[in-house]
Amino acid sequence: MEMEACARCGECLAWCPAYAQDPRESICSRGKLGSLKRIVTSGLNGEEMKEFLEGLYECSACGQCHIVCPVRINTHELWERARESLVKAGIPQPEEQIKHLTAIRECNNSFAKPQTERGLWAETAWRAGLLKEPVRLWKEYQAPVLYFAGCTASFDPAMQTVAVQSARLLQEAGVDFSILGPDEPCCASKLRRMGDPGFADAAQQRADLFLRSGIGRIIVSCAGCFKGLHSDYAGILPASVEVLHLTEYLDRLIREGNLTPTRNVPMKVTYHDPCHLGRHNQIYREPRNILHAIPGLSLIEMRRHGPFSLCCGMGGGLKLAKPEIQKKMSAARIRQAEETGAEAIVTPCQTCQMGLMTGTEATSSGLKVYHITEMLIRSVCPEADRAHIEKAFTETETG
Amino acid sequence: MMHPAPWILFWFFVICCHLYLDYSLYRLWKGWSRGMKTGFAIRRLKMPVVRIWLYEVFLQRQLFSLSVMRWLVHQCIFWGFISLTFLSLTKFILLLLSRISFDAGLHDFFSQGAGYPFTKLWGDFFGLILFAGCAGALARRFVLRPVQTAHDQTDTFLTVYLLLMTLSGFMLESLRMALSPSDLDQYAFIGGLFMPARFGIVAGLGTWHAGTWIIHAFSGAAILAYLPHSKLLHSLLAPLVIALNAAEEEGRKDMYWPKTKQYRPTR
Ligand code: SF4
Ligand code: SF4
Repeated sequence: MEMEACARCGECLAWCPAYAQDPRESICSRGKLGSLKRIVTSGLNGEEMKEFLEGLYECSACGQCHIVCPVRINTHELWERARESLVKAGIPQPEEQIKHLTAIRECNNSFAKPQTERGLWAETAWRAGLLKEPVRLWKEYQAPVLYFAGCTASFDPAMQTVAVQSARLLQEAGVDFSILGPDEPCCASKLRRMGDPGFADAAQQRADLFLRSGIGRIIVSCAGCFKGLHSDYAGILPASVEVLHLTEYLDRLIREGNLTPTRNVPMKVTYHDPCHLGRHNQIYREPRNILHAIPGLSLIEMRRHGPFSLCCGMGGGLKLAKPEIQKKMSAARIRQAEETGAEAIVTPCQTCQMGLMTGTEATSSGLKVYHITEMLIRSVCPEADRAHIEKAFTETETG
Repeated sequence: MMHPAPWILFWFFVICCHLYLDYSLYRLWKGWSRGMKTGFAIRRLKMPVVRIWLYEVFLQRQLFSLSVMRWLVHQCIFWGFISLTFLSLTKFILLLLSRISFDAGLHDFFSQGAGYPFTKLWGDFFGLILFAGCAGALARRFVLRPVQTAHDQTDTFLTVYLLLMTLSGFMLESLRMALSPSDLDQYAFIGGLFMPARFGIVAGLGTWHAGTWIIHAFSGAAILAYLPHSKLLHSLLAPLVIALNAAEEEGRKDMYWPKTKQYRPTR
């Protein structure tokens, strides 16, 4: 019905970050909706189908088109469902996406690493003196709160900082929490993003695990995992299991006086809203509250922020399908950040952080890219800042 | 004045077009219902959903915040079209009711009594609005040519079609006034501008009237048949999609209400 409801106004085209890098009608929502309509009515010829598939996967499912669409068409969900329908009809995703999805299905993480390595960051951080106390595993101690680090912060050496800092901040605030460690599953949201028909079953398995384990509150530090556990699991995971993004929780802790940023962080930063947190879940205020609570830190907004934040290109499997477009998209975002005169761009998602880093690389920008935890850590306990963690982790590895 | 033959043909044509519309919508609905995830429960229509629906459907608030010019054009077409359709439908229903003396005198009241000026003003005002909207849409498409303009010839065809229908409506009204003048004609403030004498037409007004009526009435009825194949379909579906999606957003707790005006596209 949404295909017929499209008024062909083209607003989606004017705002689409992928179209801005590759201006072809098939990339924007209007083009995709038109092709979908023809697929179910008259059909597409070989060339047209090829063009449609390019457009379908040259899309980060960022949801910008949904926000600006006067008809409120739930575009990104439509793309995900279209991908799924095509897979079911025997038209698979691009090869790189298939590899990624296979890793998730077979190894329960997108890095194709043994699950036994998943919680190692916590051990290493404790041994290196970066934590106030050891992080306990859920199977040993069922705390009121579960910290869910996600695949990227668990396995990617460059992003483990986020997991360590999140844990440290929770400890600083006196939060009683534990982690699943090797039992932490991949949230499987990427299956949904890339149209894998196995998503519903995978989500059900994860939800059963959380329920069996008696978990009542989950804190997530990745915007993608948050979208997965919070939104994609709606109707699968009962509402009795509260899923919060780390920024929501930290903001609450700061407001309640359990966490106080005291040290001056004299920096001018700009803030990048992750699509999955902002547009998809309407969380705009909390991360900004955190930044405002840090003494000395000033926040300058980019031209496009909040619901109109320019996507860094990391979502929807775009980086896997079209890395060159993702690079251009993040470069465009970095240029916007530079316009503000800020010295760093801050984001509350490790995946966006990685994405933005490809942008600074592509533009040879001197702009720093930080996860929001880094800013807070510098004000609360600078001994656990990124430099210290990286040094400690490198020493542990070489030692 | 009016030949009976066009009337009979007209009603036959209306019925055919209507049947075709119903059949097309039924076929479309069958396709859509296959793709629908769940049935729509009326309990999902909570207050924020209703509020969004009213704002987006009737005031087109989102469009306003994106571009005042586009909003104005769209509002003109939307309200012009709806109001003229409403006028025609009301006149038709009152006519039918008057035939069985069940109209409480409303038919005469609006067609020749004290309500007649109101009918004239309504028709002319909304005709003008629709005309202005279509002219604005064409100017935008061919003069301003914004980057997002769709290169779909059927959209242009529909706009020109509506524009010509409005024009033929004004001409029909003026011919009617020329054939049977009345003191109340002054209320037809646009129709009056199209008086046939202005265009040198002084003879054969009856034929002109019949011809214009045929064009106006048949093209109006043809819209019914064209609707499922044209952009006009969005006028039926957009309100439905807005309600369905707003209800889903409300359910997922991610309903948005962005202050779009603060931002502009990057390019
Ligand atoms: S913004 Fe919405 S209605 Fe307009 S062309 Fe895009 S999808 Fe269609
Ligand atoms: S979801 Fe984002 S990238 Fe995809 S079509 Fe919409 S605006 Fe473009």
